[in-house]
Amino acid sequence: MRMFHKLPHFDFMKWKGVALTISWSIIIICFLLARPWSSHSRVRVGMQFTGGIDMMVRFSIPMEADQIRKALQQGGISDAALVNYTSPAGTEDYSIKVKAKPGQDVKDSTLQIDKIKDVLKQLDPQSKSDPRHDLNTESALALSGKWYDANLLGLKGDEQSQRATYDGWAGKVTEARDIKGSISNYNELPAELPAPLKEMIQKDYRLGHMTVRKIESFSPSISGEWTSKTLRAVFWASVAILFYVMFRFTMSFAVGGIVALLHDILMALGLFVLFGFEFSVPVVASFLILMGYSMADTIVVFDRIRENSHKPEYRRVPISKLINDSINQTLSRTILTSMSVLFVAFCLLVFGGPALRDLSFPIFVGVITGTYSSIYIASPVVVYWDKFFGGKDKLKQHA
Amino acid sequence: MSKRSLIRLVTTLLICAACGYFFIPLSKIRLGLDLRGGVHFELEVQGQEALAADLRDTRDRIQERIQEKAISGVTVKSDTTSIRVDGITEENKTAITKILAAFGGYSVAEQGSTRVLTQKDTYQKALKDDANKRALQIIDNRINQFGVAEPEITPTGAEGNRIIVELPGVGEAERERIKALLSTPGRLEVRFLAKKMPNQIPVKTEAEALAMLGGQLPEGTELFPELEEESTVVTNQMKAAIRAAKPGEKKADNVRQWVLLETKVYYEGSAITDASRGQDQFNTNTVNFTLNREGADANAKLTEIASSENRQFAFLLDRKVISVLHSEQKIIGSGVEIKGNFTQQQADDLALKLKSGSLRASMKFLEEQSMGPSLGADSIKHGITAAVIGFGTIIIFMVLWYKWSGLNAIVALTVNLIVMLGLLGSFQATITLPGIAAFALTLGIAVDANILIFERIREELDNGKSVPGAIQTGFDRVFWTIVDSHVTQLFAALLLFIFGTGPVKGFAVSLTVGVVASLFTSIYVSRFIYDWVLEQHPGTKTLSI
Repeated sequence: MRMFHKLPHFDFMKWKGVALTISWSIIIICFLLARPWSSHSRVRVGMQFTGGIDMMVRFSIPMEADQIRKALQQGGISDAALVNYTSPAGTEDYSIKVKAKPGQDVKDSTLQIDKIKDVLKQLDPQSKSDPRHDLNTESALALSGKWYDANLLGLKGDEQSQRATYDGWAGKVTEARDIKGSISNYNELPAELPAPLKEMIQKDYRLGHMTVRKIESFSPSISGEWTSKTLRAVFWASVAILFYVMFRFTMSFAVGGIVALLHDILMALGLFVLFGFEFSVPVVASFLILMGYSMADTIVVFDRIRENSHKPEYRRVPISKLINDSINQTLSRTILTSMSVLFVAFCLLVFGGPALRDLSFPIFVGVITGTYSSIYIASPVVVYWDKFFGGKDKLKQHA
Repeated sequence: MSKRSLIRLVTTLLICAACGYFFIPLSKIRLGLDLRGGVHFELEVQGQEALAADLRDTRDRIQERIQEKAISGVTVKSDTTSIRVDGITEENKTAITKILAAFGGYSVAEQGSTRVLTQKDTYQKALKDDANKRALQIIDNRINQFGVAEPEITPTGAEGNRIIVELPGVGEAERERIKALLSTPGRLEVRFLAKKMPNQIPVKTEAEALAMLGGQLPEGTELFPELEEESTVVTNQMKAAIRAAKPGEKKADNVRQWVLLETKVYYEGSAITDASRGQDQFNTNTVNFTLNREGADANAKLTEIASSENRQFAFLLDRKVISVLHSEQKIIGSGVEIKGNFTQQQADDLALKLKSGSLRASMKFLEEQSMGPSLGADSIKHGITAAVIGFGTIIIFMVLWYKWSGLNAIVALTVNLIVMLGLLGSFQATITLPGIAAFALTLGIAVDANILIFERIREELDNGKSVPGAIQTGFDRVFWTIVDSHVTQLFAALLLFIFGTGPVKGFAVSLTVGVVASLFTSIYVSRFIYDWVLEQHPGTKTLSI
C-alpha cells in the first residue's frame, strides 16, 4: 500500500507565514488561559514539586467525594484536593492531596497522614458498628503476635521457632490481601491456612471497606530541588541536541530544530495544562522524550534537504523550492512514522490506566506537533535564517 | 547460504541467545517499587546534630580533665556553637592550655580569663562525613536486623548526606515502625541523678524545673525530660491527644517530669555488644544487653557507688530518660537489664537499636512513599494491555502495508524486543511504570526506523533501480538519518538518567536500551534478512514492499 501514488507537490512554504502565526497564537492563547503567573492559575503541580501529601485510597462501598471532603473538613483538613479515579466495579478510588504549609516538617506530615487515615477509617460505617480490628489494615507482625500470644496451633519448641511459624502464616494472609488490595470475604483467605487461625480471624477481625493503596509525602524543603533538577535536565538536553545538530548539519538547521523543539514543548505544555493534567516527575521525563522525538522527526526532513542540496538540479533554485521538494519527498514517511508512535502513545493514553495517562499525553501531543513543526516551524526558520545570514551557499559548504 | 550471511545469522542468533540468558526466567528482571509495592524513603542526615553532639562530648571531656587535674574555680560551658572555659588565672593557665591543646579539632581564642573553643571547618566536615558514613552503616544494620527482603540502601546527594531506602514488600502497617527505627539516633547513656536533687516534685517544663533550682543549674549537672511510662493506657491517651491536636501542631512528647542529672556519662550505647528483649518475673518486658570490657567496668563502678551512697542512676535514650534505677549491690559482669514498662514491640525495637549502634545525628525524612502491591499489579495490567494492543496493531499494520517486507520488520522488532529485555536484564535494571511506557514507545521508534528504510527503498525502486540496488542504496542513504535521529533521542534519555531518580531512572534506562536495540536491529538485522532473501532468489525483479 502507498500513501501517495504520485510524488506529492504541495507548496508548503507558501503558507509558512500563516502556519507560524496560527501555531504560535495557539500557544499564546493556551498560556493566557492557563495563567501560570496568577494565583488562580490552572497549572496543577504534583506534590513532589510543592511538598505535601499524596494519598490514594480505595473504598469497597459507594462513597461520594463530598462525603469525604466533609469528613476531612470536620477533621480539620480543609485544603485537600480530591480526585476520583476509575476503578473496578463496586469500588471507589480516590486520590487525596494536601499541600504542605511552608516550614512544615516530617512530624507534621506524619500526623496529617495519621489523621486523614483516621478520618477515612471512620467513613466506613462498619467501624462504628463493629469494634473488632480491621483485617484489611492490620500488619502481619501484629497478626502473628496475637497468634503467638494465644499459641493457637499449640506449637512446642522455643519462642523463635514458634514465632517463625506464625510469622509465616501471617505473611501469607497479608500477602493474599495485598495482592488483591483487600479481602472482602473470609473465603478469600489462603485455603491452606490452618483452621484455628482461620477461625480466629473470622472471630476477631472484621473486613473493613477502606484500604490505603499509596501514600507519598514530600518535604517542602526538597521540592525546590526537584524543580531546578528538571529544568536543568530540559536545558542540557536542548543544548546537547543543538550542538549535535550543529555538528552534523549547519547553524541554520540547528536553530530551526531548536525553535521547532521549543514550539513542541510549549504547545504540549499549554495543552497539558488546559486539559487539567498534573505535573509529576515522570511527566517531566515524558517531555524529555517528546524533545528527543520531535528532533528525530525534524532530522528526517533535514537530512533530505541536505541530500538534495548536493544535487545538480537544485543548484540554481531558491531555497524554498529545495525545502518544499524535500518535504514532499519525505512526506509519506513523516506521516507513517508519526502514526506508528502516535498509535502507541494513543494506546498508552487510553488503556494505560491513570498513572500512564498523565505521562503519555505530552507524547501524544508531541508526536502530532513534532510532525507538523518539522514542516512548518523548523523548515521556515532555516529559510528565514539563510535569507538573513547569507543564503544556501553556506549550507552547501558545511553539508 | 553464503559465508557472509552465515556469519550474520550466527551473530544475530548469538546476540539473541546471550540476551535470553540475561532475562530468562523473567523473574530476573526486577520490578520497581511502583510496580511491586513497598516503601521508599529519602532521608537526610542532620549533620548539625553531629556537630552539637561533639561539642557536648568535648565539653564533658574538658570538664573531666579539669577535675582529674584538681583545678578549681574553672567553669566549662557550651552553647550551640562554642565552648567557653571561664576563670583562668595565672596559676592554672599552663595546665588549662595543655588540656585544651589536646582537642585538635577546635581552635582556641583567648578573651582575658576566658577561652572560647570553636570547631575548625575541616573538623566540622570530617564530623559530618563521619556522621553520614555511620548513618549509612547503621541504617543498613537496622534494616537487615528488622528482616526486610532485598532492601536497597543507597547514599545520594551532592554532600553525600542523603540516603535512599527502598524496601520492597513492606506494607503500610509496618511503615511507621520502620520510620521510627530509622529516624531516631538510638543513643543510650547512663548517668547519675544529681546529688543535690531537690525533692522530686514532678515538674512538667524545663522552665519550671530551672526556677525550682533557683534559676541556675548546679555545676556539672543538666536537666533532662523523663518520659511517661509507656503502658497501653498511655498510648490510648496519646492517640486521643494526637486526634485533639490541630493539624500542623507538633505532637509533644509525653514528659512526666524533668530530672536533674550529672553531666558525666558512665557508659554509652557504644559499649553494648548485644541486646535482646527479655521478661522479668512479673512478665513485664525488659531490654537485656551485654557490655564490653570497659562498659562492664564502668557498670561495676556505677553500681558500687549507687549501692554504697544509695543513689539512683538513669538510662537515657536520645537525651530522654527512659528508666531510673537504683542498685542494692555492686554488679560485676557484663549483663544489664533495663526495666521500663515497654510494650513488646518497643522492647524489640530498643534492643534492635542498641545492637545496631547509635547514629551520630538524627535523620530528616525528605520523601516518603508507600505503595500497595495491588496498585502496582493494576499498573502492570494496564501498562501491558496498552503495550500489547499498541504493538499488535503495529504488527498488523506493517504486514498490511509492506507485505513480506513487513514480516522482515516484525522479525527485526522481535529481535529488538529480545535485545531490549536482555540489556535490561544484564544491567540489572529496574522496570518502573514509566519504564513500561518507554518500552512501548521505543518499539514505536524501532518501527519508525523500519518505515524510514522501506520508504526509501520504495523511492529508489520508483527511480528505476534494480531490487538489490534499491536495497543497497536505501540502507546506505538512510543509515545516517537513522543514526542522527537515534542519537538525539539518546541525548534526552541520557539526561533523564543523569538527573532522574527512581521511576524516572527506570524510564531512562528502558529508553536508552530501546534506542540502542533499535539501532542494531534496523541497521543490521533488517538488512541481513533482505540480503539473505535476495541470495535465495537471485535476479528477482520484484520486491514485496
